[in-house]
Amino acid sequence: MADRVPVFIAASLTKRFGPLRAVDDVSVTIEPGEIYGLVGPSGAGKTTLIRMLSGLTAPTGGTAWLLGSAMPAERRAVEHRFGYMPQERAVYRDLSVAENLLFFGRIYGMPRARIAGRTRELLGLMQLEDRGRQRADRLSGGEKQRLSLACALLHEPDALLLDEPTIGLDPALRREFWGHFRELNAKGRTILLSTHYLHEAEWCDRVGLMQRGRLIAEGTPDALKDEAGRRSGREGPDMEEVFLILTRTAVAGGAP
Amino acid sequence: MKAYRILAVAERVLRQVWHDKRVLAFMLVLPAVAMLLFGYSFSGDITDIRVAFIDEDNTDLTASILESLQADDAFDVTVHAPVDDPERLLLDSGYQAVIRIPDKFTSLYYAHFAMGVATSAQGTIDLTLDESDPQIASTIKMGLADALMDLGEGGPVRIDTRQLYGVEVRFIDSFAPAIMGLVVALISTVLTLLSIVREKVDGTFSRVWVSPVRRAEFILGYVVAFGLVALVQSLVVLTIGKGVFDIVINGSVAWAFACVILFAVGSVGLGTLLSALAQTESQAVVFFPLVILPSVLLSGMMWPIQAIPRVLRPLSYLVPLTYSNRLLRAVMVKGLEPWQEPVGFAGVLVFVVLTILLASIVLRQSAGERE
Repeated sequence: MADRVPVFIAASLTKRFGPLRAVDDVSVTIEPGEIYGLVGPSGAGKTTLIRMLSGLTAPTGGTAWLLGSAMPAERRAVEHRFGYMPQERAVYRDLSVAENLLFFGRIYGMPRARIAGRTRELLGLMQLEDRGRQRADRLSGGEKQRLSLACALLHEPDALLLDEPTIGLDPALRREFWGHFRELNAKGRTILLSTHYLHEAEWCDRVGLMQRGRLIAEGTPDALKDEAGRRSGREGPDMEEVFLILTRTAVAGGAP
Repeated sequence: MKAYRILAVAERVLRQVWHDKRVLAFMLVLPAVAMLLFGYSFSGDITDIRVAFIDEDNTDLTASILESLQADDAFDVTVHAPVDDPERLLLDSGYQAVIRIPDKFTSLYYAHFAMGVATSAQGTIDLTLDESDPQIASTIKMGLADALMDLGEGGPVRIDTRQLYGVEVRFIDSFAPAIMGLVVALISTVLTLLSIVREKVDGTFSRVWVSPVRRAEFILGYVVAFGLVALVQSLVVLTIGKGVFDIVINGSVAWAFACVILFAVGSVGLGTLLSALAQTESQAVVFFPLVILPSVLLSGMMWPIQAIPRVLRPLSYLVPLTYSNRLLRAVMVKGLEPWQEPVGFAGVLVFVVLTILLASIVLRQSAGERE
């Protein structure tokens, strides 16, 4: 990551599904080493934005760049360098925990010995040590989600696209996940994640607020709070209030 | 394209099959049960068997034989000029029987009538017969006997029968290749369909598409996995066929396996294709009868295609198993090389190429219009 190329760039990204603008002219630049949180209610366009950046969905307008490659056209150049965690707990339910990791490791061309090493490491990190031989459909929801995160981390990607990684987790587990994110971030990984838990925005380096396909505000959590305070005249609003204030004023006064 | 990624997909699919003991049992029991259950003949009214009629005698008597054959719905009679080798004619022109009435047939026939039993003079008809489908063969024999009976007066006619492809082919011998094809088609199509739909439902599909796996590698992984499964299933069918029913295999077992695997490839393609039309597993289940019923009813598996009502017959040629049956019967019962059954071979090849091509287009769309 010495070259300081932005990890993710959305340049006027738009995705229309028929008359619906799922993502509407969104521009975001995410620098190496950042944890960037896309925050907003379901249906705000977070998933579609992430899918466009991952190359899964082709934009109807604008360009998505991942580590300097236009997505999806030049995805082959960067496919080894990013990890993606879809919103569903996307693991093979009829494979064991270890077999899931084995499959994802092999399609990334990792030698079996290295997969075995990484599997031990990740199962330790995710507290799934004694679950290696367990079939994924016998795991609890939280365990499945940890396995899903492990699958995204297996090939040691520089950049992570995590779509609602903490959805459905209890608060303790959610904190644990954020511990992993911080740790990965400390090792130099760039993370773009989405969440509809507004208070999680506090833990991001920068936050983009999305509503109805548009990016209505962007900045550090503190900057957003200041902005919301200025617009509403209230002292020290929490993230939930920030979101309410900024969405209301965005509708009234147009997007910033 | 990288072999290790294809193998990774194949290994994963096989592991999934291995883990689901119900599916595994189904896979092994289905060919066994199918082979055991359908041990006996089914028959409908057989029509339109292609028969060549060679008349070297050209008399009123022989004309009346031709007439009664033509009147029989079972036959589609073509009058053919004399040839040196009726066997070649049958092989090259796709007739199921060649009936040759030699010169002097009529005079010998009446000679017998005039002289009574004391004479050895007797009219003889040469019948060259494709025995690979026993139901058709017996229909031809009976039809010819009926036509001769219609002559009324006159002595017995000797029928010199030359049977091709195994002297005594029983129903079960030609049924085994059909069971092999059916079982392989069902398992490969249904499991591929379910597996891909499940990937879509669970979201592993998008995970695979952001990885270095190419569409072709993904399909080939399924092809490798179900090719192996097809091989095992064919072994089950052949083992039971040999052990329980003592079926006759005239051809090369290696060719049979090669053809079955080829057919499995097309079936994987079909499963992939159908997966595009289903968003959930219960939607996918709707397609099962669509795959199973035409295969069983229209492919010529239980009864010859000639036994299917004429209006439905064109549909038979839209059913992939029809071609697989022709091909596998040619290879296993007749002992031919695959290309010596051009219709079956070409049919299976077209099925494979078409479904795999369409499947890769369809996968692109299912993956979220990525490129």
